[in-house]
Amino acid sequence: MKVLATYNIKGGVGKTATAVNLAHVAAAHGNRVLVWDLDPQGAATFYFRVKPKVKGGGKAIVRGSLELGDAIKATDFDNLDLVPADFSYRHLDLWLDDAKKPLVRIRRALRQVSEEYDYVFLDCPPSISLTSESVFRAADALLVPTIPTTLSLRTYEQLDRFVEENPDMVRELKILGFFSMVDRHKRLHRRFMNDLRAAHPELLEATIPNSTDIERMGVHREPVGAYGKGSKPARAYEALWSEIQTRL
Amino acid sequence: MSKMRRYEVTAAGDFASVLAVLTDHLGLRLLSLDEGQRSWLDTPAGTLERAETTLEFRRPSGDGTPTLTWAAEGRVLVHDPCVSSTPPVQSSELPDSPAFARLATLVDGGELVAGPTVNSQIAVLACLDDEEKTTARIIFDRSETIDGITLPMLLEVLPLRGYEDEASALEKKLKRSVALSASVTPMRELAQQGASEGRGAGSGEDGAALVPTMSAASAWRAVFQDLSDAITKSFSGVLSGNDPEDLHAFRVAVRRIRTILQDGDDVVDPESRDRFRHEYRWLGDVTTPTRDADVHLIEFPELAATLPPSRREELVPFKGILERHRADCHAAMTVELRSMRRAEFGTAWLSFLADDDAWTGCGDLADEPVLRIVLRRVEKANRQLVKNGRKISKKSPAIALHELRKEGKRLRYLLECFSPLFNEKALATILRPLRDVQDDLGEFQDTEVQANALLELAGELEGADDHSALMAIGGVIEQLGVRGAEARASFSKTFGQFDNRKVQRAFDQLEPRKKKR
Ligand SMILES: Nc1ncnc2c1ncn2[C@@H]1O[C@H](COP(=O)(O)OP(=O)(O)O)[C@@H](O)[C@H]1O
Ligand SMILES: [Mg+2]
Repeated sequence: MKVLATYNIKGGVGKTATAVNLAHVAAAHGNRVLVWDLDPQGAATFYFRVKPKVKGGGKAIVRGSLELGDAIKATDFDNLDLVPADFSYRHLDLWLDDAKKPLVRIRRALRQVSEEYDYVFLDCPPSISLTSESVFRAADALLVPTIPTTLSLRTYEQLDRFVEENPDMVRELKILGFFSMVDRHKRLHRRFMNDLRAAHPELLEATIPNSTDIERMGVHREPVGAYGKGSKPARAYEALWSEIQTRL
Repeated sequence: MSKMRRYEVTAAGDFASVLAVLTDHLGLRLLSLDEGQRSWLDTPAGTLERAETTLEFRRPSGDGTPTLTWAAEGRVLVHDPCVSSTPPVQSSELPDSPAFARLATLVDGGELVAGPTVNSQIAVLACLDDEEKTTARIIFDRSETIDGITLPMLLEVLPLRGYEDEASALEKKLKRSVALSASVTPMRELAQQGASEGRGAGSGEDGAALVPTMSAASAWRAVFQDLSDAITKSFSGVLSGNDPEDLHAFRVAVRRIRTILQDGDDVVDPESRDRFRHEYRWLGDVTTPTRDADVHLIEFPELAATLPPSRREELVPFKGILERHRADCHAAMTVELRSMRRAEFGTAWLSFLADDDAWTGCGDLADEPVLRIVLRRVEKANRQLVKNGRKISKKSPAIALHELRKEGKRLRYLLECFSPLFNEKALATILRPLRDVQDDLGEFQDTEVQANALLELAGELEGADDHSALMAIGGVIEQLGVRGAEARASFSKTFGQFDNRKVQRAFDQLEPRKKKR
């Protein structure tokens, strides 16, 4: 079982879109996939039409008093399950800094289902901060969607610093950055991408275009591949997934 | 993990009409409707079956792409288009995907062989909640073997993980709207049986597999359906008259329908109940003379054997009379069975069984769990039988015993028609002595009826002026009298075998033990 966490301290960069669509692609290829919606806003949960509630409270899973398996809901897609968002996650960011390390606990909770799934996607809220080592303990890889604007640089600067300071940890954690919401017509986007690729050759080749098809996920309440099979964004997520697999 | 539940659809009506109930009445969303050929694949050693998974190769009618589906307990593990138009014969020919890689590991690189092949219509439906999220998937499958043997329609309910409560609620609704009986046999097995045996329509003696929790209305309907099948099955044999067993089976089914109608108050729509009770009584009556004539002929050799060998020859002319009489009765009966009345009522009955509206809100107790209602009616029938049975003495008139026989029949048919609902042991404890009581009462009445009939038919011999034959008949009738008297004499003992603590306690144990899940 591989655990992939979407990560970016900024909101609205496409973390949830990434988790939902990659999970859908991976499941369609016959992998057994679980999405765990850790964002109390519950966007991933909404896209799968599931009610944002965990019986007994989502915190109880993280605390270990509720079995993760009891909270799992099957989505409408074969081989694709979901742990819904729960309002009790709203202080998840605060717990991060206390000694209890909730993301370590998340990893522990996931161990109960490690035989059942090939891939787990953790859809993280933007408030999770990179400074906490528990993020790294929880995941095998970070998926970092990056909008090609200077504002996104901060995440990368932070990542750089972290990699420098924690060389041991980074050996085990794969950091997979890629460009999201790319508008090829914008000269600014193109220039920024070239610059960042020069500084970070490890950035993935595949990019996700800025697309109204993806925006419409909120209307359809489905992954883009479900209603736009073979569309340009659906193909982009397919390509991103194949590239990610070569890096894991 | 959510368990798939499988039902055999016992409702009247074809695939399309049941599908219409699922979509229009129950509001299920039709996700796909496929028609075509499908084969089940497995290793020669049956590896996939042992792993409780199925691998299906489907070739849609028309020019769609064939697909390969690997599923466990109805849960699709992988469903992929298949490049070749023939089933893969090697695991290396499976499509390239992580799930099929797992399958290849399971079959260990071995050979795949095609098992039974059927032509199917398969509808996949979704039960949605108020967010339009699927809570359960329903697979409705109508198949026939390639030799054209129709297999029972199956309905599989697959709760999605985390939605077990919603799925249970759906099942309750389903059972109220469509006559279903729980089944463990998947289509692959039915197809296998169908291919090897040519399994016919309609089921055995004890009929519909019922479940205690289904609504009284759907249980009554299922029992009627099953009995109607028995009638349909024997009908052409009844008309041809070649085998008396057909008429016998026909009459038992009619009699059972009458009993179940009689005990269907507050469950069956009252107007229909009255109408069909009346019509089935008529149908029973028009077949009685032929059945009696059959019995004379069936029993004749045995009765003749009770005479001294020298006198048996003398019965030959009488046997001719019996045969003529039987032919007359049969001819008269066929006229009735081919009448407009019979045709109209037969059609009305079938559409009544197929009409869901006739079975919803049709009585105060229609939605109650069937077991509770049936137990109440069994108890009542038993109470009456015991009360009146105890009143029988050596002096009771014959009519009192005939009445008692009817009460016994009512109890027996209730128990037999709903037998799948009961605890088997308790049921057997009751039925054994009850059948003995009925045999006794039957012997008493039938010998009397037969003696009277023979006496009347013997009148025809008089014209022939054949005194020796008449004398021989006298001996036969006497013999019938002896048998009747013996039956009557043994009644109190036989009844005592039924009216005792052990058997009567079994009535309290008819409710099946709760199975631990
Ligand atoms: N590639 C894209 N093109 C256009 N809109 C996108 C794209 N990716 C995400 N969006 C939209 O942007 C908004 C934020 O995306 P989301 O995935 O929820 O980001 P995050 O999880 O990082 O907050 C959503 O309304 C989503 O529909
Ligand atoms: Mg999000």
